[in-house]
Amino acid sequence: MNLLKIDRVSKSFRSKQVLTDISFEVEKGEVVAIIGPSGSGKTTLLRCAAMLERADGGTISMGGVTFFKDGVLAKKDVRKEARRKCGMVFQNFNLFPHMSVLENIIDAPVHIAGVPRAEAVAEAEELLKKMELSDHAAAYPCELSGGQQQRVAIARALALHPEILFFDEPTSALDPELTQGVLRVIRDLAMEKMTMVIVTHEMDFAEKVADRIIFMADGVVVESGTAKDIIHNPAKERTKMFIAGLKTEM
Amino acid sequence: MKKAVLLLAVVLGIQTAFCRTFTVGFDAGFPPYGYVENGEFKGFDLDLAREVARRNNWEIKLKPINWDAKDSELNSGMIDCIWNGFTINGRENSYTWSDPYVINEQVVMVKKNSTIKTLADLKGRKIAVQTDTPVQKALSPDGERQELGKTFAGLVVVPDYNNAVMQLESGSVDAVALDVGVAKTKLKTGEFRLLDEIVMSEMYGIGFRKGDTALRDTVQNTLLEMVADGTAAEISAEYFDGKNVMALGKLTFEKKGTGGQDDSTLSLKTVLLELGKGLLVSMAIFCLTLVFSLPLGLLVAFGRMSGNFLLRNVFRIFISVMRGTPLMLQLLVWFFGPYYLFGIQLSKLSFCGLDYRFIAVIIGFSFNYAAYFAEIYRAGIESIPRGQYEAASVLGYSPYQTFFRIILPQVVKRILPPVTNEVITLVKDTSLAFSLAVLEMFTIAKQIASASSSMMPFIVAGVFYYVFNFVVAGVMAAIEKKLSYYR
Repeated sequence: MNLLKIDRVSKSFRSKQVLTDISFEVEKGEVVAIIGPSGSGKTTLLRCAAMLERADGGTISMGGVTFFKDGVLAKKDVRKEARRKCGMVFQNFNLFPHMSVLENIIDAPVHIAGVPRAEAVAEAEELLKKMELSDHAAAYPCELSGGQQQRVAIARALALHPEILFFDEPTSALDPELTQGVLRVIRDLAMEKMTMVIVTHEMDFAEKVADRIIFMADGVVVESGTAKDIIHNPAKERTKMFIAGLKTEM
Repeated sequence: MKKAVLLLAVVLGIQTAFCRTFTVGFDAGFPPYGYVENGEFKGFDLDLAREVARRNNWEIKLKPINWDAKDSELNSGMIDCIWNGFTINGRENSYTWSDPYVINEQVVMVKKNSTIKTLADLKGRKIAVQTDTPVQKALSPDGERQELGKTFAGLVVVPDYNNAVMQLESGSVDAVALDVGVAKTKLKTGEFRLLDEIVMSEMYGIGFRKGDTALRDTVQNTLLEMVADGTAAEISAEYFDGKNVMALGKLTFEKKGTGGQDDSTLSLKTVLLELGKGLLVSMAIFCLTLVFSLPLGLLVAFGRMSGNFLLRNVFRIFISVMRGTPLMLQLLVWFFGPYYLFGIQLSKLSFCGLDYRFIAVIIGFSFNYAAYFAEIYRAGIESIPRGQYEAASVLGYSPYQTFFRIILPQVVKRILPPVTNEVITLVKDTSLAFSLAVLEMFTIAKQIASASSSMMPFIVAGVFYYVFNFVVAGVMAAIEKKLSYYR
């Protein structure tokens, strides 16, 4: 059963075509990494799937709910249902600065989903333990390091029990020494069979964690396959160039 | 030729250097004694003063003054005398007076079709008077016509005669008590008439700085010459339809107190008590304005940021007008607008026992401040990063929930410093309520100050405003500190 189905999706900003006929599916329990040079459209694709951006054409279904069909958005309640199935973690965390760590996590469950407060708090504490942030429940985002903030953002997304979780370059805004904690948390989630789509630049991490890698360039899917194949044995010239470029950088 | 020019310049220079200036202070809104016509100062008193100066070879300076500040102007030497239909009665001890030169009557003016025929008919009516005029003092408690004053429903004290006449015209008062000379200039429109009974009669004199008898005597002697050679009568004829009102030399008055308000009775306690009452009114204006303008500003900000072209521009124009015109003018429009635009009698516009003039002040202030707050809100809302909206959207917050749970709390923190600025300005702006004759603190300070020839009430009022603002700033700082738990 696929949790995300993207079918011939395209989008342009003004005259610039940023996505052309993108199609792929994500199965339940699968971890998919999307890689590619900047400007290739990977973030836009993720944002279309998370309903932050509206595609021009194609069809998108989330957990069997088609909220975008042949270029037309579905009714509000359908979109709402689809939205409940996904969570998103941003490059810049986007925590709510006026709320403590605990409030950031429980605010949506309590006020949007209607979970009893005590229940939400108990669950948030559980999540914070998993993120190794139990001591920081009362802290405010501004008091945390970037890595800690990103882990709070992951806990906030998980608190709503999404079926699929999107990561938009989750470690790009972090100092190198802070990325490990975030990557470890994502790896743990992968082991628990959380379905995830991760836009990333961390090639080693993608290789270790992803079941499948999609390589995008200039708004099209150039190639997709197992992590091993794409990184060590790419078939297409464009992919080879990109991988080679990354290696010389290191 | 060049030498001649130089010589002339030197002579003129010497002459100006030795030429005494004679500075006459007057209220430029007091026809026919002193007023502005076609951009020039005209009037009976001013023409007399010009002639006196000419005969003494003085350079005359005509200085329109704020009536409330006349004593400070005189005592500080900015003007040499107050010459402007200036009533001696009740002020006998406050100035060095010339002999009276005009006997004048204080009369009551009503609308032509009014049912008021006699002074007794004024019972239960509202009467307007100009601030710090003899008739105001006479009709006030402790005044010589206090018995008459007590029968009124209210004595409305306004800043100037034009304001009083507008109030009469628009029906917010039933009558105006004023100087007969001024009244006659207003009668020309044909809309008003005078009651046959007069409130009181009074004497006009020229008020000099206390002790400045030398100048007083020179001016008075010159005036007597002018009476003798007929010049004074000519000037009078020009302003009083051919009549000679000049009474100098026919009358003297005894230069002693007649029980009017005396300088020495002004105690700090009275001032504090009176200003305290005014402070309550100022605080009421302040609080009510905030209560209405803070939420209203949010609505205006929404309208201004609306996606609808028409709505957005309507609010853009609203803000532009509110910020681009003086608040005092806006207050006058809110107050007189219903009458002049729709013909509604203002006396009928009251709400919960509140006089419409107070309501108009609150409406005027609230709309004006809402415009300023709206732009502050807009700046705050637009400064919140897009990521906050996106995070909320993905978590399932509705636009309404996003605004009130996520955006607004952050906006409040960001806009606190500019809002504090506006709030502190508002404390001081409350004094503009005077233009609608609402007795707030500064108005009262001006009244006491001019009645007692003392600066003390102003100093006390200044201290009150400062303390008020000190508290406001303290409260705002406390809120800011409370919100400083995050960045």
